Amino acid sequence: MAPEHPKESHQMDHDAQPPPPSSKSVVKDAKKKKDEKKDEDLSEEDQALKQQLELYVERVQDVDPAIQKVALEAMREEIRTATSSMTSVPKPLKFLRPHYGALKSYYEKMVNAELKRYLADVISVLALTMSEDGDRESLCFRLQGSVGDIGSWGHEYVRNLAGEIGNEFQQRQIEEQPVDDLMDLVKQIVPFHVKHNAEPEAVDLLMEVESLDLLVEHIDKGNYKRTCSYLTSFASYVPEPDDTLVLDIAYQLYCKFEKYPDALRVALRMDNTQYVKSIFAACKDFSEKQQLCYILARQGISLDLDGELADSNEQRDILQELISNSKLSEGYLTLARDLDVMEPKTPDDIYKAHLIDGRASAGASVDSARQNLAATFVNAFVNAGFGQDKLMTVPSTESLTGSSSGSWLFKNKEHGKASAAASLGLIALWDVDGGLPLVDKYLYSNDNHVIAGALLAVGIVNCGVHNECDPAYALLCESVNKEDPTTRIGAIMGLGLAYAGSQREEVLKLLTPIVHDFKVGIEVAGFAALSLGLVYVGSCNEDVAQSIILALMDRSEAELGEPLAHFLCLGLGLLYLGKQDAVDATMEVAKTLHEKISKFCQVTLDSCAYAGTGNVLKVQAFLSLCGDHLEKGDSHQAPAVLGIALVAMAEELGLDMAIRSLEHLLQYGEQNIRRAVPLALGILSISNPKISVMDTLSRLSHDTDSEVAMAATVSLGIIGAGTNNARIAGMLRNLSSYYYKDPSLLFCVRIAQGLVHMGKGLLTLNPYHSDRFMLSNVALAGLISFLHGSLDMKSIILGKYHYVLYFLVLAIQPRMLITLDENLKPLSVPVRVGQAVDVVGQAGRPKTITGFQTHTTPVLLATGDRAELATEKYIPLSSVLEGFVILKLNPDYQQDHLSS
Amino acid sequence: MPTVSVKWQKHVFNGVEIDTEQPPYVFKCQLYDLTGVPPERQKIMVKGGLLKDDGDWESLGIKEGQRLMLMGTAEEIPKAPEKGPVFVEDLPEDEQGTAALGHTAGLVNLGNTCYMNSTLQCLHSVPELRLALKEYSAAVGTGIDPSSHSLTAATRDLFGELDRSIRPVAPVRFLTVLRSKYPQFAQQTNQGLYMQQDAEECWTQLVYVLSQRLQSVPWDEQPTNTVVKHLFGIEFKSIIKCEESGEESSESETVYTLKCHISSEVNHLHEGLKHGLKSELEKTSPILGRSTLHIKESWINKLPPYLTVQFVRFFWKRESNQKAKILRKVNYPLVLDVLDFCTEELKEKLKGPRKVYREIEDAKVGIKKKEKEGAEGVKALQNLGTSTSDENVEMADAEQAPSSSEKVNVPEPEVTGIYDLVAVLTHKGRSADSGHYVAWVKQDSGKWIEFDDEQPILQREEDITKLSGGGDWHMAYICLYKARVAPPY
Repeated sequence: MAPEHPKESHQMDHDAQPPPPSSKSVVKDAKKKKDEKKDEDLSEEDQALKQQLELYVERVQDVDPAIQKVALEAMREEIRTATSSMTSVPKPLKFLRPHYGALKSYYEKMVNAELKRYLADVISVLALTMSEDGDRESLCFRLQGSVGDIGSWGHEYVRNLAGEIGNEFQQRQIEEQPVDDLMDLVKQIVPFHVKHNAEPEAVDLLMEVESLDLLVEHIDKGNYKRTCSYLTSFASYVPEPDDTLVLDIAYQLYCKFEKYPDALRVALRMDNTQYVKSIFAACKDFSEKQQLCYILARQGISLDLDGELADSNEQRDILQELISNSKLSEGYLTLARDLDVMEPKTPDDIYKAHLIDGRASAGASVDSARQNLAATFVNAFVNAGFGQDKLMTVPSTESLTGSSSGSWLFKNKEHGKASAAASLGLIALWDVDGGLPLVDKYLYSNDNHVIAGALLAVGIVNCGVHNECDPAYALLCESVNKEDPTTRIGAIMGLGLAYAGSQREEVLKLLTPIVHDFKVGIEVAGFAALSLGLVYVGSCNEDVAQSIILALMDRSEAELGEPLAHFLCLGLGLLYLGKQDAVDATMEVAKTLHEKISKFCQVTLDSCAYAGTGNVLKVQAFLSLCGDHLEKGDSHQAPAVLGIALVAMAEELGLDMAIRSLEHLLQYGEQNIRRAVPLALGILSISNPKISVMDTLSRLSHDTDSEVAMAATVSLGIIGAGTNNARIAGMLRNLSSYYYKDPSLLFCVRIAQGLVHMGKGLLTLNPYHSDRFMLSNVALAGLISFLHGSLDMKSIILGKYHYVLYFLVLAIQPRMLITLDENLKPLSVPVRVGQAVDVVGQAGRPKTITGFQTHTTPVLLATGDRAELATEKYIPLSSVLEGFVILKLNPDYQQDHLSS
Repeated sequence: MPTVSVKWQKHVFNGVEIDTEQPPYVFKCQLYDLTGVPPERQKIMVKGGLLKDDGDWESLGIKEGQRLMLMGTAEEIPKAPEKGPVFVEDLPEDEQGTAALGHTAGLVNLGNTCYMNSTLQCLHSVPELRLALKEYSAAVGTGIDPSSHSLTAATRDLFGELDRSIRPVAPVRFLTVLRSKYPQFAQQTNQGLYMQQDAEECWTQLVYVLSQRLQSVPWDEQPTNTVVKHLFGIEFKSIIKCEESGEESSESETVYTLKCHISSEVNHLHEGLKHGLKSELEKTSPILGRSTLHIKESWINKLPPYLTVQFVRFFWKRESNQKAKILRKVNYPLVLDVLDFCTEELKEKLKGPRKVYREIEDAKVGIKKKEKEGAEGVKALQNLGTSTSDENVEMADAEQAPSSSEKVNVPEPEVTGIYDLVAVLTHKGRSADSGHYVAWVKQDSGKWIEFDDEQPILQREEDITKLSGGGDWHMAYICLYKARVAPPY
């Protein structure tokens, strides 16, 4: 058969060619001859087949039903047995093509019902190659044909049929006609697809005919994984509310096959607490339950396990402790010890001034408050979570300057001291027992800035972890209503960080009066609103929304014009984070606000509500907003630019498109838009230093507009956050010498340097985790708060409110894989870590990673990396190897006699 | 009486009994015994807040076995230092620059005055000169030469302004005074523009005026010596020999610059200097009674703390009627040793300081001398062993403030004949009266700054030696070397 192929395709090419122009008649003649020759060229075998088929066609039209039947059956046999391939049309079909019309017209005249059905079958198959686009003749004749095994006509036929069913279904929906006959066919096709490694096609067909629930019964142990991975990954491309439907099916399938960790991820993605509880109830294995708790902790969901969800009190305590995430610090330090990076680093280790070509700032003789503040932040970010550093935690005797241990603290000026004291919280991140004693003494200070910083530190230490004694609330609640606004802000922000996403009612009761108390300064109210937004992130809480709206309505125009008034809108927006149209009612109210803030509020609400949804229409709406030319004073375009990024970051394709759109904005947008673009690029590529984004930002960091340059510089830090990326580090070093005379830009460069080396390269800011499947609301809320703070760099980060940088803490997570045994003790096993490969919709068991290296756990995972166990000895309880993973001994494992 | 467990930092105290009859203060005292945290520093977390000293146990509903968290340390409360640090941001605006940048301001070009600007920046880098100028007052014999006096005063004022300002300084007054004192600098073109001048000429004239005006040096025994002579004066001893008659005469003179003559054999400063020390001259021989060829050979007899080296790059080209430039590449080192050019007496004198200096250097890098070097070595070593650190400190002091006039009793550190490059004046262009002059000055911090008129630019040390010529890039015209000194032996 093989030699036939080229010739055949060649011939088909000729058919497709338009007739050559008459002036080249000679060529034409030659071609004609060639065609005839080709026809004669058919091998004897083919010639015989052709004649045979022509005979059948003739006989089908015979008057004698018996002859007809024999001929039809013979023809069916020929077609069915013909080998088909994707590249060529099966021979019988090819030879029957000229007779398609004749058979069709004869079919109309036939009377014998049984034979008519037979013929319909044949014509249906022939229509596969003959029918015009959109005619759906294949389906039409199929429906008139015999009921029976459609699979026997070949895979290609079934696929074609499935496609036509989809179209027909839509057609009938519009015309409101019954679809029962179609559904009968679907019920035949789906099992066929599922059996033949074509689950995605089965899913597609069911999606087309809107009955995905039929899928569940056909999926078995062998193919549920493929099916679910297809379902979960295409859910991002399905408009809501259908995406929930898709995820629901995936959830049911995982539950059916008792893959509870996977089911839990789907349930969390759907944000369905009921499902989460039923998973806990259904899961019987204690180790697996512990794994579930780790997943909950990573997502930052606090779930109160009652009696039904745990078998005994003892177990309940263990599980509850895991959910509270109190093991995070321990695990992180295990990783750090394993990688030998416990030694504290100083800001100078990060700046690496010796690598700069003699242009570094010549050792200033006088301390610069701004540069010391930068050093404070760099020190905090770099040593985040390690519990020790060389500036803040040095005991008094070892202190470099020899004076009291607070010496570095007092090298900061006024409000700088607040950030310096708060940096203790970041250094002792997640370690409540170890961190609070460090902070304690500063709570007794006589300097309000120091107290404010210490209160904030309490909040930061408790960020993302829940302690049973609940120290954060106890320590902070009283200071919230102190006289001094700085102290208040410290306590309020601390509460927001410590209880982000927890929906604690005490916090609500404490902070709502402050939000709508118009006697307090707008800055305190702004921070209170933002903290409430964080605590009630994505909850659509009415009470909070009411009080913030009230504040927005009552405040005077002058107050609304202040930079921190924007935090009121942001707090309101965070309440609806990712909740899509739940925001509509509030949006209507926002339209009635004072014109000074109304537009800004609307755009912020919109960008938050659709953040992480990938909604294309919203992206378009934001883009068109950015196309407007504004009168001076309007500030809503900047959040619109951020909105593009926030909405589009949901999936890779949209993300790449958004990056391209932002490039356009850079070229054609006005200055206020250009200033937001670097930040948008930063969030799109967060902790994921893509070369293209890096180059764009590097270019922008030399922009003539200093605010664009500042935003780009900080964004360089954001995209490289926690990666130790050498290329970005080099860029930033060059920038530090380029801007050595400009203290503001130098400050931004330093912050970026601190971010790049965050946690000495063990951390990430990416709000997406578990193979980019889940989005942490709390982390995203923290990032949005930081971005909004950076929109007005000059008055917020470079002004008195630099501690908004600490909102990033909400997004900080270790980018690690730690494997544990069933007693939750770290267990070192070999794992392969490599670039993740998209295997969705691929048949068989394709390799999921490429270019891997084998390490032993604990290991670091970069963005886009995936790990798999390199040993058969253990079975991981979670299919996604990220964070904490419990391993079980594989009962079927047989020790390789060579390795023993 | 319920018993609770109390968690404090990483410790857990189990089975602590609470006497609900007593106020919580008593409980805190109980904990004080366990932890050493004074009650007033204790923070105990209970539901809904902190435990108050006079709180009511009933309302808190403490349960048997409940875990309480105690926060608090006995550590001292950090106090702000009495004297807070001074921040750059607190300084008045005009001082911020020097503090933040670590170098002084630039000088505004007032129309082809880069020759003057670069000269001033180079001379400004000499701290002793700055100090001497600061002490210069109008009282010192104004009458004799008013124009020299006003030029000196103008220099003093300008240097003072440079030290304070962050913005480029416009040396308007100095320029006016300079032009009135030396009208050649006021030369104008046909269009009425002031012309470019030779920086070397400016340098020489300025140093000359200063040497005239800045009189006594407090630390020098000889009152006749002026500051400038002390700082820059190089004493030569020359022997003039008549080739024909063989008669010899010797003379000594003091100059302010070493000349590096550039011929086709000269590739390095060292060779150029050597060249300059030997010259031929026509002179009337008293014996022969006619003019004959004499050979003059010179050696340095006394070394100054600052050595000025001039590359004789310009010569009068008759056909083009201008000072044309020799573009030849002549390398110069960052560290210059002039021992070869010294008289035998001076060489002998330098031996001591050089030895001390070497030992200190060696001690710095940690090289231990071997015993066999003899008794002297041992003595020196012992001496070193006891006082190396002192000496180092002293030396550092000496380097930083050798000019401080209070140090009368401390003997002057001695020069070693080894010099560090501290400033370079470069020229770019083809003739002395055109092109562009720039000063490259080493700061106290070790960083190099290129003063291109009003713009100070940080530069790398490696790039400084690349100004040696051989192209159209900036090339060194005058180099200023600073002596490395050793403590008195």
